[in-house]
Amino acid sequence: MPELKLKRGDVVMLEGQLSLEVREGEVLISGGLRGKGSRTVIPRAKSVPLEAEGDALVAYTLGRDGKVEQLSKRTIPREWDALISEVIQQRPKKILVMGSVDVGKSFFTTYLANTMLRHGLRPGAIDSDVGQSDVGPPATMGLGIFEQPVAQLYEVPLSSAYFVGSMSPSEHMLEFVVGVKWLVEHGLKKADSVIVNTPGWIFGGPGRSLQLYTLETIDPDIVVAIQREGELEHLLSSVPRARVRRLPVSTKVRSRSSAERASLRAMMLGKCFEDAGKLVLNLWKVRLKRCYLHTGRPIDVGTLGVQAQIIHAEQMPEGMLIVTKRRMDKGAIRELEARFGHVRTIIQGSERNMMVGLTNDVNEMLGIGIIERIDYERGRMVVLTPVKNADEVAAVQFGSMRIKPDGEEIGTIRQGTF
Amino acid sequence: MTLEQSEYQKLVERIIELFERHRGDPNAFEAILSELRTLYKKIPIYPGIITMLLPKVVQSTEMDKLKEGEEVVLVLRDGRIVSGKVAEISPSEIKLVEGKRLDVSSLDEKVPVRREDVREAKVVSRVVLEKEWPSLDFEEE
Repeated sequence: MPELKLKRGDVVMLEGQLSLEVREGEVLISGGLRGKGSRTVIPRAKSVPLEAEGDALVAYTLGRDGKVEQLSKRTIPREWDALISEVIQQRPKKILVMGSVDVGKSFFTTYLANTMLRHGLRPGAIDSDVGQSDVGPPATMGLGIFEQPVAQLYEVPLSSAYFVGSMSPSEHMLEFVVGVKWLVEHGLKKADSVIVNTPGWIFGGPGRSLQLYTLETIDPDIVVAIQREGELEHLLSSVPRARVRRLPVSTKVRSRSSAERASLRAMMLGKCFEDAGKLVLNLWKVRLKRCYLHTGRPIDVGTLGVQAQIIHAEQMPEGMLIVTKRRMDKGAIRELEARFGHVRTIIQGSERNMMVGLTNDVNEMLGIGIIERIDYERGRMVVLTPVKNADEVAAVQFGSMRIKPDGEEIGTIRQGTF
Repeated sequence: MTLEQSEYQKLVERIIELFERHRGDPNAFEAILSELRTLYKKIPIYPGIITMLLPKVVQSTEMDKLKEGEEVVLVLRDGRIVSGKVAEISPSEIKLVEGKRLDVSSLDEKVPVRREDVREAKVVSRVVLEKEWPSLDFEEE
């Protein structure tokens, strides 16, 4: 196993895939203190800096694309350390980290939280980057509480999560803003400070809306703006000046290709279902949320009198919802429309592979799931999920992605379908 | 004024822009509509991506850049439109297969149409907002 002898202040960039063990002395990995005997694994497409606190000896093993590069100077800008000193001194409750894609927001969040931990504080981190969520599975926002230092944000144990329903906050803006607020409130009950890492969607009407309403709803004490060339100024103009801290991007920030992002996302999703089993949920007991299904007054399908294989029907304020065995002909739909108004049709089987969130009675997410099938007549849903106890599940939140248990994304679902 | 909170507004604007750009070219319309239908079916929750991709469906190019096997629409100098797949290219001409030709020309003031030739009649209504929802038919500034 190759070894590196380090002196105080030496800086090394660790690029995954690699594993590393501290054999002598102490080092800082992503700002977190690691002593003799501690081991760290950096996965592919991730990189973190290591800084020697004193004389130290580390041993490492390189995997695919792995690299260890000794640098002549620190990669962390001075401004970062100055801000972190201020945070440790003033202990703000809510810190929001903002920046475009690939500016190192997740790394900054990790570095800040690790440093706070080193100074005796108990920080929490919320990763609201739903496409590339480091805390919690993709399509969710997660809250992690730092109990010990981590090299990467995804190593923080998940404390609470909120299901957004898609890998993109676009078309899920309400879930996003509600979820951030919900997680911040939960985080503040468990941690001294909460750091919110936001998505890199900063331009255009919807991007601006997402950022500005997140700012309004969280009302952070400090807004950390990590930017290259003033690309956040259009958003910062809405924030009281005294709360804004502008930071430069750390050198050595590595941008990820869309293929790398997709592979990381699939890896994270696949990991969620490694230990998954089938859960049968009773739809007469479990609430269905973010959908039309099971929100209306049930109709006895025998009374409908149309020549179609309808297996479930409900009367809703907006019209009627029916579940059919196959696509209905236009004549039968027109007949129903004449009696009930708008008819929303679900074809049995179209629920397959839909990603859902499973929550308990107080709205806490227990885990994500993949619908295998719904027996609409008997009111049963079969879900593949790491959640073990069906009795704990009080609600199923519908999402708009289709995925396979290995993490592969296989399609999307038009909103309003269910 | 407030911010757009959905990308659908941009998508509608892009569709209008494309239809205006290809006005009088039913082949381009058909290709755009067909791709729009496919994209919306596959990624209905990503209107921003659909907006970005739609202009790539039909793009103007130079004659010298055409390649065999490509699906093309050729607008002729006399206004006729020919479409198909490029089968052969020579310095003086391009041969198309699976081709279609359209003649889009203005007609005289009175056009006689024999009833027996009509398969279907459609009425065009260009003021639907005023007719169906008059309270939303605001005066243009």
